[in-house]
Amino acid sequence: MRPVGEAALLPMANVAMIDYTLEFLTATGVEETFVFCCWKSAEIKEHLQKSKWCRHTSPNTVRFVTSDLYRSLGDVLRDVDAKSLVRSDFILVTGDVVSNFNISRALEEHKLRRKMEKNVSVMTMIFKESSPGHHARCHEDDIIVAMDSATNRVLHYQRTQGLKRFRFPMSLFQSLIENVEVRHDLLDCHISICSPQVAELFTDNFDYQTRDDFVRGLLVNEEILGNQIHMHVTTEQYGAHICNLLMYKAVCSDIIRRWVYPLTPEMNFTDDKNQSYTHSKHNIYRGVDVSLGHGSVLEENILIGQGTVIGSNCFVTNSVIGQNCRIGDRVILDGAFLWDRVHIADNVEICHSVICDEAEVKEKVKLKPRCVLSSQVVVGPDITLSEGTVISLHPPDEEEEDEDQFSDDSGVNKMESKVKLKGYNKKDVGSEGRGYLWKADDKNEEDEEEQRQSLWGPALHSEEESESDSDLSLGSEEPDSRTASPQLDDIKVFQNEVLGTLQRGEEENISCDNLVLEINSLKYAYNIGLKEMMQVLSKVILEFPLQQLDANLDSQNYFSALLPLLKNWTPLFKNYIKRASDHLNALFAIEEFFLEHDSLCTSIAKVLMTFYQLEILEEDVILNWFSLRDTSDKGKQLRKNQRLQKFIQWLEEAEEESSDGDQD
Amino acid sequence: MPGAAERGSELSEQIEAFVARLRGGGERPRSEDTARQTMALLQKIIEHGRWGRAGELMDLIRTEGQRMTAAQPSETTVGNMVRRVLKIIREEYGRLHGRSEESDQQESLHKLLTSGGLSEDFSTPYPLLRANVIEAINELLIELEGTTDNIAMQALEHIHSNEVIMTIGYSRTVEAFLKEAARKRKFQVIVAECAPFCQGHEMAVRLSKENIETTVMSDAAIFAVMSRVNKVIIGTKTILANGALIAVSGTHTLALAAKHHSTPLIVCAPMFKLSPQDNKMVPVFLTLLYSRLIQFPNEEDSFHKFVSPQEVLPFTEGEILAKINVHCPVFDYVPPELITLFISNIGGNAPSYIYRLMSELYHPDDYEL
Repeated sequence: MRPVGEAALLPMANVAMIDYTLEFLTATGVEETFVFCCWKSAEIKEHLQKSKWCRHTSPNTVRFVTSDLYRSLGDVLRDVDAKSLVRSDFILVTGDVVSNFNISRALEEHKLRRKMEKNVSVMTMIFKESSPGHHARCHEDDIIVAMDSATNRVLHYQRTQGLKRFRFPMSLFQSLIENVEVRHDLLDCHISICSPQVAELFTDNFDYQTRDDFVRGLLVNEEILGNQIHMHVTTEQYGAHICNLLMYKAVCSDIIRRWVYPLTPEMNFTDDKNQSYTHSKHNIYRGVDVSLGHGSVLEENILIGQGTVIGSNCFVTNSVIGQNCRIGDRVILDGAFLWDRVHIADNVEICHSVICDEAEVKEKVKLKPRCVLSSQVVVGPDITLSEGTVISLHPPDEEEEDEDQFSDDSGVNKMESKVKLKGYNKKDVGSEGRGYLWKADDKNEEDEEEQRQSLWGPALHSEEESESDSDLSLGSEEPDSRTASPQLDDIKVFQNEVLGTLQRGEEENISCDNLVLEINSLKYAYNIGLKEMMQVLSKVILEFPLQQLDANLDSQNYFSALLPLLKNWTPLFKNYIKRASDHLNALFAIEEFFLEHDSLCTSIAKVLMTFYQLEILEEDVILNWFSLRDTSDKGKQLRKNQRLQKFIQWLEEAEEESSDGDQD
Repeated sequence: MPGAAERGSELSEQIEAFVARLRGGGERPRSEDTARQTMALLQKIIEHGRWGRAGELMDLIRTEGQRMTAAQPSETTVGNMVRRVLKIIREEYGRLHGRSEESDQQESLHKLLTSGGLSEDFSTPYPLLRANVIEAINELLIELEGTTDNIAMQALEHIHSNEVIMTIGYSRTVEAFLKEAARKRKFQVIVAECAPFCQGHEMAVRLSKENIETTVMSDAAIFAVMSRVNKVIIGTKTILANGALIAVSGTHTLALAAKHHSTPLIVCAPMFKLSPQDNKMVPVFLTLLYSRLIQFPNEEDSFHKFVSPQEVLPFTEGEILAKINVHCPVFDYVPPELITLFISNIGGNAPSYIYRLMSELYHPDDYEL
């Protein structure tokens, strides 16, 4: 078995995340691990070489593959295929998975499936059951899965992305499968058992970047390629993937509350002498040489690293404190995550925040929830940091290096000289402070929100894992802050390209088949989903006459110009509009177009009629669309259009007739 | 010596695997198996390890022993076996050193007082020592084989016809004990299920297969049913030097109920469960609930084992999990005054006599590894 891992060195309950991942793999019986890294590969390598994984007694052989060219999971797997590193089934995990899952049952199922039907099932994904609202679920990773309950086959996989309503392809329920389960109570552990074909498929499809792309692509092309994906749901064991600080917090507290047993701090699974803890009641873990001042209270769920000194009359609860920290008197730590060598002066209050290595907090500083102080930052004295403040040593204009702020010592040293050139803003960090407010300039409220989210979100992706499509992640508390999709520009460009293509097609009389081919390649080039594709296509075609006739024309002219075009391009539509959801999407796009062009409103009925007659749109879907209630006022007005109502009436009657006919 | 180096690395791999197994701790290994595995490993260390003198060997055993015990402090059997081996080495060395059996015995008060300063240095090399020690360990392994049978043989002395016996959870020793008695006598057994892991269910199934009249009941009913019970027979994980028990959680409740009704409480446990470690475990839940204010306590709950709270409250529960703390302790501390009798492979003993047995089994210098 040869899993592929990606690494992360962030301390999780004082142990680097990658150690959890490797321990999970080893415990589950993996004998050989390939660690792929590009970012900070030297540090990761050094860390692992010092750890127990590289001792000769380790049952799990760890190998490194580093390259700066890895920009995504897809690149890694293509490289795996090119070097033919795997010949049998392997486990694919990212370097930030914490789990005590025992893979053997899932693996057996996987093998059995592959034996029964040769090479059909290529991947088994592991999910953990956890109901919505669970603290270990983050919106970024929230998924809806449709599965065949008899065979555990994945039929549909989609990220919720904060949406309230979802569309499933009709084919899902029309197929021969008896029981289809649609589940929203699953947490993706980001552990998948893959057959060697997975790497090959990544090579064949050079546009796959992430595992999501892969799953989506495979499900869409299931009939063509004949590959299937299965899933395994665990209820008892733990598995989580840390993708942002909220998840970091949740998983840390799960570790301390012993959900991940036996991967608890006092087990010292890394076999590091500095990491030995004793566990006492209320889940308090204490390293060697910890001293606690008089009158200090450790309430519950606390981990204190070796050599830490806590002053008198402090109150600590639900916190993780790293090694060799100095904490003054009368300090209140609630949900604080302190990494190594942090200095905290007297009378400080820290609430639900992360403080990285060697940071210093001076007297009387108050940190509101969700603050982050990166390495070596100094704040204070006597200042209150508002909710969600992020302070790092990197001047805000150097965004390309903003990922470095976490635990990157060498980077920080390099920055030191630059830092001297610019003064620190005393208002932000206090009179003796050192550090810059991270990327928070004169932008509006929403932007700041987004920035903060993106930090509590994917800034913690220390790795290449380029999840470009989820760059604007969201925390579980602000479900609707995801406003604009980053692909918007792409869609615009795509739309223009499609328009250009169609124009050319019209002028040069290119056959529809070739047009489809061109549009398909554009679709892949701009990474456009089917839904957007539909909308763009409908819009472009409807707008087409406007451009030819220099706008400002009445509906009569418009329609007569549109009609031949529609007839010409019928095969184009038919190629894309297949499922019920496509029909609806097309209808929405049509509706949108007519809302934008009030003057043409009257011709909507005719257009729809044409679509219907050309058998592009089905009557059911049109009726369905018409009866949708939750439209805007304008939409309602549009529906009151006389001609449209007549058309609908006609459709209804036609349907009744046809059903009557059936009965006879 | 390439061969030796190879063997050495093979050995350390085996130790590594054993430690990993202890740590994983998922499938609740039988204490007897753990004891045997520990013994086998120690035997291999003695056979293949690099040592010339008894002192070196003892250091070697001690370091490895510490590693193994640290992996799972609640698995006291490992430490006990290490101590037994150390004691064997001492004895064998003493015999080769030409000391008579009697002089090793520290029986009289006078000798106890005078022999304090005379610590041996174990520095004389004896080529025979290796073979002798391995021989002695083999004997010990044979002794281990027979422990459960030895205990079961005493069953008829304790269980009489038409008695009602109560037990809790699943213990192989108790199972063998009851089955042995059932061959001659007819009696009824009530098994407390021992939530949340409900090992009691398995116990009941196994007993009823032997045609023993068996009833399973919830832990909450222990007190109510106790008035009908003639004897309580339980197993344990560890016996401490003062005669207290570290047993599966729920045992303390059972013992208190038995005390209230003056029902005799009999503990079936082989000698290798006797642990000289100090009683550092405090009654956990009382302190858990009432002492919110804690300084670092002097006592360490090193015997204690909290596992994933999954069984108490499933992780799938959702929102509530962020707001509450769930604990799932595996063991209870049962104080010695609640126990009537210990039945071990060498016979029945009162709790107050345990310390004496302890000094026979282990050398006082080895109490702390």
